[in-house]
Parts: sequence; C-alpha cells; structure tokens
Amino acid sequence: MAELDDVIHQPLRLRIMAALNALPVSIGLEFSRLKKLTGATDGNLGAHIETLARAGYVAVDKAFVGKKPQTTVTATATGRGAFARHVATLQEIIAASEGDQ
Amino acid sequence: MIASGVQGNSIMIDRKEASAALSDINDMVRRVRQSRIYDLASQFMVVAGVFVIAGNLATYIAPRYALYIWPSINVLTIVVSGVVSTFDSRRTGLRSFDFRVFVAFVLFYAFGLLCTGVLGHFGPRQMGTFWPIYFMLFYCIAGLWFGRALIYIGLGITVLTLIGYFFITTDLFLIWMAMVNGGGLILSGLWMRWGE
Repeated sequence: MAELDDVIHQPLRLRIMAALNALPVSIGLEFSRLKKLTGATDGNLGAHIETLARAGYVAVDKAFVGKKPQTTVTATATGRGAFARHVATLQEIIAASEGDQ
Repeated sequence: MIASGVQGNSIMIDRKEASAALSDINDMVRRVRQSRIYDLASQFMVVAGVFVIAGNLATYIAPRYALYIWPSINVLTIVVSGVVSTFDSRRTGLRSFDFRVFVAFVLFYAFGLLCTGVLGHFGPRQMGTFWPIYFMLFYCIAGLWFGRALIYIGLGITVLTLIGYFFITTDLFLIWMAMVNGGGLILSGLWMRWGE
C-alpha cells in the first residue's frame, strides 16, 4: 500500500490542496478566497502555504491589483500528483479495512 | 489498519480517519464549486441589474418607446454578460457563456414573449411584473442545485415585485421596479461576491 503524504496529511494543508485541486490546471485562488474557504486565520494559512510551497506542491504569486497586493496560490503539477496519490491511499485504507471485516 | 499516528517516517491512520479526511476533501470541493458558481452568478446579476435600472428609468421617462427599450435592454444584457464571462474565464478558467447558454436565453425570451404577447395580451404593468418574476423563477430553480442564496434572492425580488404591482398603481411603479429589481440584483450580486 502506498504511504500517506505527510506534507498533505495535516488537516489545513489537506483542505488547501483539496480546494486548489478542485480548480482547472494553472488556475489559482486568491489568499483571501482561500482563507474564507478553509476558515483559517491569516497567520496559520500563510504558514501552511509556505510549507506546501517548500515541498513544491503550490506556487505562490504575489502581484498588485491596482494599489492592493494580491497573493494567488496555485497547485503545481507535483502538488496535483501528490494529492491524487494521497487521495488514492486514503481510498485504499478504507477498501482494505472493508476487506478485513 | 488499526494504528493511528506516525510510525517511523510513515503516517498510520485507521478507516475512520481516512473517511474523515475524504469527507473533508469532498466538502472543500463542494465549497470551491459553489464559490465559483456564486462568483459567476454575481457578475450576471450586477450586469442584469444595471440594465434593469436603465430600462425602467428609460421607460419612466419615455413610456411610448417601451417597445424598443426592452428588447434593446435584453439584447445588451446577453451581449455584455457574454463579454464579461469571456474576459473572466481567463481568471477563473471557467467558460460559462457558450452556445448552450445563448440558446437557453433565446428559449427563455421566446417563451416569455409567447406568454405575454400571444397567449395573454399583457399591458405595461403586467409586463413589468411578469418578466422579473419569470426571471426570478429560474433563480429559485437554480438555487435548488447551486446554493440557497439564489433562492432567497429569487423569492425576495418576487415578493417586492408583487408588492409594487398590487400597491403602487401610478407610474412610480417603474421607479419601484428599478429599485427593487435592478437595485436588488446589483446588491444581491455584490453580496454573493463578497459575503459568501
């Protein structure tokens, strides 16, 4: 059985990756939208996005829209692959335990 | 697997935790999808709201030209919605305005015209009441699939439209409709965009 991805497994990071993976490839979510969707605080969300970015799972793009800074987070191809494997492993765990019963 | 925790470098979780994680993922996917639908719907609502205000005010000022004003307003609403959607698809990756949407608009207006002009011969007040209510019927139906906000908006504007129809018997009905239908659409669109 494949192993769970310890970077994605943390609950908030799992929600971030789930949200980003629900979008078409190369489309990202603004930090503020991600914050609303996940229900996280600014600091917490920022720290977990940084962890995901260090792992190469998300790309962070900082730009100015008018005079306002806007941070957009996008799942990378590596991140999408890791997330798909993580979900498959979760499904395998459930299927395996059903087989045991 | 019955253990829960970290063993060596690998994480061990049981069925219950795996189910909870999958359910969390499904919940996020549902939220993102709803957020994107609200985002799109809000754009259409703001565009439609602006044109509804313009249409009602123009009809109030020049009632004799209502027959030209409203078809122009409807065509402009479709065209501008299409343009806004095309530009926005670069940001959201979601193409919302395609041939099927165009056909849906055509069928919508064709059925409305059949009801108001062929089956029933509606006067200006009945027309001014029928079209917003007819429009809101689709909001309510869409809300059954895409989020309750659309149902609340549909019902709210329908009730306000009927209040105007039954209680405002002068030409001020058009001003009322500009406020509750046009203004209502704009405010609802902004609420959906920022309040969801």
